[in-house]
Amino acid sequence: MKKIWHIGRLDLKLMVRDRAFFFWVLLFPLAFILIFGNLYQGSKTDAKASLTVLNQDQGRWGAYFAEKLKAPGIELAIVATAPETYLRMLVIPPDFSLKIERKAAQELQFRKDSQADLKAGAVADTKISQAIVKLLAELIMYGNRDMKAFFAARSPYRDLVQVRTRLPKDTITKIPSGFDHTIPGILVQFVMMMVLIYGGISVMEDRKKRVLARILYSSASPAELFGGKFLGRLLMGLLQSAILVVAGLLFFRLNLGNAWLSALNIVVFAAAMAALSIFVGSVLRNEEMIIGVSVLTANMFAALGGCWWPVEIVPPAFRALGRISPAYWAMDSFHQVIFFAKGLETVWPNLLVLLAFAAVFTALALRYFKISE
Amino acid sequence: MQQHILEIKNLSKSYGETVALANFSLDLGKGEVLGLLGPNGAGKTTLISILSGTLRDFTGSVTFKGQDLFADRGLKNLIGIVPQEMAFYEDLNATENLLFWGGLYAIPEKELKKRARELLALVELGARAREPVKKFSGGMKRRLNVAIGLIHRPELLLLDEPTVGIDVQAKMSILDIIRNVGREGTSVVFTTHQLSEVEQTCARIAIMDRGTILAQGTLAELIRIVGEKEVVEVSGEFSAAAFSAIIQQFDGNGMEVLSVTDNQAHLAFADPERIPAMMQHLFQRHLPIADLKIKSPNLEAVFLKMTGRSLRD
Repeated sequence: MKKIWHIGRLDLKLMVRDRAFFFWVLLFPLAFILIFGNLYQGSKTDAKASLTVLNQDQGRWGAYFAEKLKAPGIELAIVATAPETYLRMLVIPPDFSLKIERKAAQELQFRKDSQADLKAGAVADTKISQAIVKLLAELIMYGNRDMKAFFAARSPYRDLVQVRTRLPKDTITKIPSGFDHTIPGILVQFVMMMVLIYGGISVMEDRKKRVLARILYSSASPAELFGGKFLGRLLMGLLQSAILVVAGLLFFRLNLGNAWLSALNIVVFAAAMAALSIFVGSVLRNEEMIIGVSVLTANMFAALGGCWWPVEIVPPAFRALGRISPAYWAMDSFHQVIFFAKGLETVWPNLLVLLAFAAVFTALALRYFKISE
Repeated sequence: MQQHILEIKNLSKSYGETVALANFSLDLGKGEVLGLLGPNGAGKTTLISILSGTLRDFTGSVTFKGQDLFADRGLKNLIGIVPQEMAFYEDLNATENLLFWGGLYAIPEKELKKRARELLALVELGARAREPVKKFSGGMKRRLNVAIGLIHRPELLLLDEPTVGIDVQAKMSILDIIRNVGREGTSVVFTTHQLSEVEQTCARIAIMDRGTILAQGTLAELIRIVGEKEVVEVSGEFSAAAFSAIIQQFDGNGMEVLSVTDNQAHLAFADPERIPAMMQHLFQRHLPIADLKIKSPNLEAVFLKMTGRSLRD
């Protein structure tokens, strides 16, 4: 195991030492993320859940109700005249108090800008519902008493009820952003591209220069040599992934869903690519061929697998074809975990398919792995 | 009787129809420096590949320190191999290379670093230790190649043509290193097709061709094979057949034809007085001769006698 780590670690070190490393592994994918991420992003964002309350009520109940909307997650603006622009606005009608005192049915209008942030909208919806429930509960408890006495300084019925909202199990509380699709997509694409190119070229060069043979001159076994080369390429994939995940978390508020499950998805996918890169480096004889085949393969798999756009938007035939790409299974797994908050019980078939890809690529790599020309 | 550290018996290996090694047998004593001399295609690299464990499907046996070399992978920790190729990482510096290759053996880190410094001093790369190897000259790379083979203090060092493609000064430096290693008690097998290198470096010389050992011994013992004969090298625009036909008609009085190829022939004369007559014989028959050299008995003459061809062939 020590020799496998020793061999694998060196390959990672050589990749990091490459002068173009940070361009290919960080800057280039970041450019992709910015382009695609912004392309899929909504035009307006409203993370603070702003809510404008247009209180037209002639009595005291409108103001009382508006007070109940105040909460830490809400940026509340109570106005008497309608503003020109707003993201969402609740309209309390002029006869609001009158209808309460008469115990008549009420109708409140809630207007939303269609471009407003959905997550903030959900928060506002919840707060309005809570305020309505609170008010109704107080009115029921108050019963047929004198309505004017309700607002007495020491009324026991004021703020009597607390409403706690709990979402049903499996409710998606985080609304995915464009970056939540783009970052995993670019991650999958660049893990393919970087591992195939760097990993493939170094296997080919080590074979040509008889470095692989020289490693076997020591007491390292062929299995340890192969294991070391596999580990090196796996580490390359994990490093590429880690760089993009950290950048995503720092700059784009990346939502990973269940982080452990997303990490497992990355490890299994990178393992498949590590084995494929050894195969590519074993069967191709020069750098130009490896770069050409790797770029073509990675981009084709990325397009088919839904790295650049969600596969849900492509025709069914294209979507079915995408299943030949390991990227499809990795991206679908990311979608389930990030977009729909699913767990292992949902994505295990995807992980199994990726493991099957890894097994097939490893078998091919073992079959064609040569230590010298 | 000298204890043998390496015993190779009846080693045979073929690539299809081509025989690379044919019943090859060789012994090596502890601390002995053996030069394995042979032309290209003699089977030297095949032998090194078998000894390194990277080539299988051969017959015969190899014992190292009395044990089957291939039965215990751990024995490889006692053998250092310097391949013909510059098999190391050019993006790393010399120290990093030595630490990587040394790390494949169970050497404690502190000791490994000390050994790397010692070796860099030995191969005169101490001042360039932190420079990427890709900036090194050919000779410096060759020296590093040798140092990597020595990083784990092997008891047996196998070098496959370690001086190929470098200038005379670099070559002398590497031969010095090999001599030093031998003096320190490491057994060395050193393959080459450079006669002067084995003459300068090796206590014992083995001549091999077509996969087998033709002769072996010290330089003096080998020269005795051709006797105290003068060797004449004849060069010119002639074919081997034409030369053979003409020289057969000459009464050489103990003259021996060592080798005849197109454009070159080597003849050994027990009676040097017959050389002018031989020249006259050739000129009279209008053989186009461009050059003629008379040499004292040397390793080249032995090689020509044993293989029938020069090392350049």
